[in-house]
Amino acid sequence: MDLHESSRSQTSLAAVTVVAILLQAALAPQISLFGGTINFMLILAAVYAFSGNASRAVIAGFLCGLFYDLTASVPVGLMTLLLTIGSFVLANSSAAAIGASSQNTYRLVAVFCFAVSMVYGVALVIMGIQSDLVNSLLGHGLSTAILSALVSVPFFLASGTSDSSRRGFSVKSKGSRFKGIR
Amino acid sequence: MPRSQKKYSTGYNNRGQSTGFRPLIVLCIASVLLLTFYIREGESGPIHTVRAGVTTITSPARMVGAAIATPFNGLGNIFANLTASQETLDELRAQNEELTAQVAELSEAQETATRLEGLLDLRSTYNLQSTAARIIGMSSDAWSRTVTIDKGSLDGLAINMPVTNSAGVIGQIIEVSPNTATVRLANDEQSGISAMVQSTRAQGMLEGQPDGTLRLEYISVDSDVREGDIIVTSGIGGVYPKGLPLGTITSVERASNAVYYTIVVRSAVSTENNEEVLVITSLTDEQAASDEDVAEANSSPQGTTRDAQDDTSDDGSGDASADGTDTGTGE
Repeated sequence: MDLHESSRSQTSLAAVTVVAILLQAALAPQISLFGGTINFMLILAAVYAFSGNASRAVIAGFLCGLFYDLTASVPVGLMTLLLTIGSFVLANSSAAAIGASSQNTYRLVAVFCFAVSMVYGVALVIMGIQSDLVNSLLGHGLSTAILSALVSVPFFLASGTSDSSRRGFSVKSKGSRFKGIR
Repeated sequence: MPRSQKKYSTGYNNRGQSTGFRPLIVLCIASVLLLTFYIREGESGPIHTVRAGVTTITSPARMVGAAIATPFNGLGNIFANLTASQETLDELRAQNEELTAQVAELSEAQETATRLEGLLDLRSTYNLQSTAARIIGMSSDAWSRTVTIDKGSLDGLAINMPVTNSAGVIGQIIEVSPNTATVRLANDEQSGISAMVQSTRAQGMLEGQPDGTLRLEYISVDSDVREGDIIVTSGIGGVYPKGLPLGTITSVERASNAVYYTIVVRSAVSTENNEEVLVITSLTDEQAASDEDVAEANSSPQGTTRDAQDDTSDDGSGDASADGTDTGTGE
């Protein structure tokens, strides 16, 4: 039963990965709202961070960031670095919040999107690629974070990782007394 | 560790302590190295080459995305007649969809024809040696203003080539892959184009701003500059042909004790998906700024007065005709 469920979860995760990559390449360059664009790689990194394996989440964050950097006109390595660190933090935060509701998951993802976009905006200013900090943060970073956080919802639903009480660790179906701790 | 403790330790602890941190350190170092190499390497370095390869691989997806997104620019609302019978309604809906598709197709074809005529006019007016291309995508990040076009190094395009449409200058190629190229738009923050006021020849630099507007910098307060003046490329620098339209001045402000005006320029162009553009592949001697032009720009960067300019110009039509039609032999 568990094996079957795990296999299904892996399949949906693979499907979400393919869709996110295609959307990043095809749709992200076409949609721009209020100065922001949807960062599908940010969303994908968040999905992996909630999949219950911190090591895999970090590697996925690195690869997502690298793909973003290589398909956009931005410095290669910057989003890679941010998503690597961000995925590590998010994966461990999600592990700490095990048993929490899906609402908390979305809250964590929104914070993740916001933090990565803001730090990215600041980094671009420091590197001299953007000159206006306010515009970089509020004009581009904030709208990108909001758009990405909103679009992440269907991805989490599709991947089945939004309900953190169902994911990760061996306490899941063994009746651990720590299961209810939030 | 005692044997019993080892036996009953949970998978949670093992995984929490041993996984995640090691790949984090390794991949962080890799990221920093990537960033460092990217900044230090030239345009033809290995990371740029890899990026060109990725762009090539993803360009079909980008084209599909552009094709999907284009109809949404032009389609209006379709109202259904709720009072009609279901059969009539179905028939009308089908007809409506067909006609809407035809109208969209014809409108698009008409707009394309108009744009192509404009491009041909531009090409013959300025005697441009150029390659036609089509925009297939915008920037996929929010912080830069670029577009991707469907021609690349295999079509003879190279970095720094200027890109125009029928209305004027769009920008400059900053990255090129075998079958696509990335164009930095004139209103990108990192863009700077040698420009001048068409009527007075006052020299400046047209620069993109963080908010997406254009500013004409380094125009001395001694210059005669007014709202509505047309800004054209000066040709100094050898990248852009001289006389191509860049935009129109929308405001001129002079702060007290300032050396230069604060001039806001409205761009002459807009960029949309599937729009045709011209990539200028080389400049003739007439199109590049001559030594005399450079010397004149250096000696009087503030330009001449409007009256003097009118006197020296036979027809008063400005730079476009002076630099374009006079030069050439056509295509």
